[in-house]
Amino acid sequence: MKRTVISIISLLFCLNAFSQTVITGRVTEEKGEPLPGANTYLQGTYDGASSGENGVFKFKTAKSGTQVLKVEFIGYEPFIQNLELKGDTIRVNVKLKEAFNQLNAVTITAGTFEASDKKQAVTITPIDMVTTAGAAGDVYGALQSLPGTTVNGESGRLFVKGGDSEESQTYIDGSLVSVPYNSSAPNQATRGRFNPFMFKGTIFSTGGYSAEYGQALSSVLLLNTNDMPAEDQLDLSILMVGLEVAGTKLWKNGAVTGTLSYNNLQPYMSLAPQNYDWAKAPESANGAVSVRQKTSKTGMLKFYSSFDNGGFTLSQQNLDAGGTPIDYQLTNGNQFMNASWNDKLGEKWAVSTAASFTNNADDIQFDQTTVAEQIQGTHLKSVFSYPFSEKFILKMGGELFSKKFSQNVIMPVETHDNSFTNHTFAGFTEAQIYASTKFVARIGGRVEYSDYLNSFTLSPRFSAAYKITDKSQFSAAYGWFYQNPVDDYLLYTDLLKPERADHCTFSFQSSANSRTIRAELYYKDYKDLVKLTGGEFYLPTSYNNSGSGYAKGLDLFWRDKKSIKNGDYWVSYSYVDTKRDYRNFPEEAIPTFTSKHNLSVVYKHWLGKLRSLASANFRYSSPRVYNDPNSSVFNGEKMLAYRSLDLSWSFLYRQHIIIYAAATNVLDFKNEFGQRYSNNPDANGQYPGAAIQPGSNQFYVLGCFITLSRKGNANQLDKIE
Amino acid sequence: MKKIILSLVVVLVSLVSMAQKPEYYQAMGETLGQYANCKSVADFQELGNKFQVIAAAEKSEWLPLYYHANCYIIMSFMEQDATKKDGYLDVAEKSITSMLEMVPSESEAFVLQAFYLVGRLVVNPMERGQEYSGLSGQALGKALALDATNPRAQMLKIQMDMGSAQFTGQDPKSFCPAAKELLANWDNFKPKSPIHPNWGKDQAEGIVKGCE
Repeated sequence: MKRTVISIISLLFCLNAFSQTVITGRVTEEKGEPLPGANTYLQGTYDGASSGENGVFKFKTAKSGTQVLKVEFIGYEPFIQNLELKGDTIRVNVKLKEAFNQLNAVTITAGTFEASDKKQAVTITPIDMVTTAGAAGDVYGALQSLPGTTVNGESGRLFVKGGDSEESQTYIDGSLVSVPYNSSAPNQATRGRFNPFMFKGTIFSTGGYSAEYGQALSSVLLLNTNDMPAEDQLDLSILMVGLEVAGTKLWKNGAVTGTLSYNNLQPYMSLAPQNYDWAKAPESANGAVSVRQKTSKTGMLKFYSSFDNGGFTLSQQNLDAGGTPIDYQLTNGNQFMNASWNDKLGEKWAVSTAASFTNNADDIQFDQTTVAEQIQGTHLKSVFSYPFSEKFILKMGGELFSKKFSQNVIMPVETHDNSFTNHTFAGFTEAQIYASTKFVARIGGRVEYSDYLNSFTLSPRFSAAYKITDKSQFSAAYGWFYQNPVDDYLLYTDLLKPERADHCTFSFQSSANSRTIRAELYYKDYKDLVKLTGGEFYLPTSYNNSGSGYAKGLDLFWRDKKSIKNGDYWVSYSYVDTKRDYRNFPEEAIPTFTSKHNLSVVYKHWLGKLRSLASANFRYSSPRVYNDPNSSVFNGEKMLAYRSLDLSWSFLYRQHIIIYAAATNVLDFKNEFGQRYSNNPDANGQYPGAAIQPGSNQFYVLGCFITLSRKGNANQLDKIE
Repeated sequence: MKKIILSLVVVLVSLVSMAQKPEYYQAMGETLGQYANCKSVADFQELGNKFQVIAAAEKSEWLPLYYHANCYIIMSFMEQDATKKDGYLDVAEKSITSMLEMVPSESEAFVLQAFYLVGRLVVNPMERGQEYSGLSGQALGKALALDATNPRAQMLKIQMDMGSAQFTGQDPKSFCPAAKELLANWDNFKPKSPIHPNWGKDQAEGIVKGCE
């Protein structure tokens, strides 16, 4: 039927060819290589042809007069030429220029691990953060399977490229998180405060980052929260250690999600053997509200607010009193608020504004001493960007970090009450310039002024990347990075200036066929580190900026999603050589938080028949150093190497029910994090010590996630797949 | 009787519009006739080029955009290289966006959008699965809401339900009766003109065959 109709129409309306012009030619790219498949046609007519294998095209037209020849091909700029048609043969050779497209163009990868589903060349995705065994749903735990990080089992925080954990900052939707970790007892591992399921993308920069980011000597972690949820739903999570209920409600251009959770480790700790005595196991209650509102076709307003109250009582040996147990009791209250707005102003200007507020209070009691600490932090930031062309984008912005830290210590004999308030004002500008799709440079600078320290800093930042082939590229970054000294010192002195680190990073990355290899060499020069003069801690003059240090190393990363069917693995290795002379160090020495060799091997396998995702993660860190006050050598002792094999299993039981099980250190390696010592020597002039052990040798998680939605087929697969 | 009148009206209306734009209908008819001969990425690219030429000449017609996007979606399924797959889908996306602006309540347009979103998903099911299966489900929902009888929308829905059943422990064969019914009634759906979308019967036959 269709054919007949078409034939009839063809017959009826067949064109009369009076005089025909033949248009022919060859389509090539700039270097003369032929482009087969290019579309060549006269605009506004039906006359045209595709170029053949050798780039040659040829078509006839009955049109006459002036016509426009258009040639188009994917990835190239369209070509247009006016032709005068007179019924003879016209020859046109067409050279197409490669189109510039930022998505295909080279990106700066030195120091940066970017995760999002938009880019092909990603190394670690948000889903990886949740499904990596050993991470136990902790953002920071997952990052510790990337090169450049060192596992510190007694801390749980992020230690990057020879840097201390305080040198890393976390940003959510552009604004600073002043207190990203839960409060913990000394030498007890902590976790991040945020649920990794909140985030759709992460950028983990381990050095050489943009001028947009300051107040971090070692690394910045940029977390971007999810956009609009897809539908109304109710999520229920039941874990051995707690319960969580989350409800999402949508309206026309917005949505709200409310979350309530309660955690109590008491039942778990009474079942699984613990290395410490808990008079009261960690218990916490949290609530959060997250709102999304589209403000225009391109604009989005995000708001997030959470409260978190928790506490515990840990029984620890008092080494200054012959090892008698004392209770260390902590209660924590944390409120966090974060808002961000992104939109376009007119055709070209893009603006993003973010604000965050943190109020964190810790109340600690031990051995007749009471410590009350409070941090109130505010961060305001606005960034404007303007593309002069696709190849030249200028970004500028300003921010304010405000922080009030107060500490009140009550001891039987004395009381200390101290606080400080600092405002850091910062401005930055940065230009991103593409010479071609193969070469990009980013040049920027940042100024900061701290009113408490009355100090002014200027940080230049440079980075560039060059694509050697379609799949491989070199990248380099250099910059100065400043950060105000830690709160514990600023409490007593305002005579310090910011500490400084200069980063120099060279990186090579090659990705093809779902395989990525990456190698990075770096050198960090630490200057103006805080040094203690040995005077009384409460005297402002007991601190100066005469400390220094360096860190240099090699990071290797290999990921392969291809070679094993349904399997995916990655291997990270980092070598770090670092020494410092800072704080109370009598001389230049290796700091306690770095391991020379760090290895992480992650494997994941999807078992289709069992509807399960299995994951294994092996980590090794060579022995770190620690200081024994009984020895004449500073930081001269070595801990045990850290080894752990972690496993996890996710099982999709029904469309909306997922069962999750995980265990850490299944081979029961002995892990120990050195020794802690008494503050004062005993009668024999010796400092008695005790081993610092992990909270437990192994940790188990068993949980069930249930999703209820109208459609009934949504589940929390994205949570653990 | 009612049906015959309806078909007559449809034929008449299409003939009238064909008479108004003979060149357009001829070009579309000829180009559509070449679908069957396309076997490789290069073939579909050539065909897509032809639809692009027609789309550029007929700025108010959505069907050239529809078929242009369709060619590039098929190319993405045939291509192995993930970057190229996404590149083809970028081209398809542009045409789909223009098409949806033109005909925001055309059921077939949303079927194609759903098909395109499946193409995006297939590039990287592990990482895009959750997001894109939701999005393509939404597009199919719109297609069915606009025309519940659209056989292509129904077929894609069955295909998707069967696909996700594999992962959730449901029996994919539980969708077989629906597939058989769809195939049995397939020819009752009359496209609005000879150049309107009319594909999918082969795939529906494939699904039913897989049920046996």
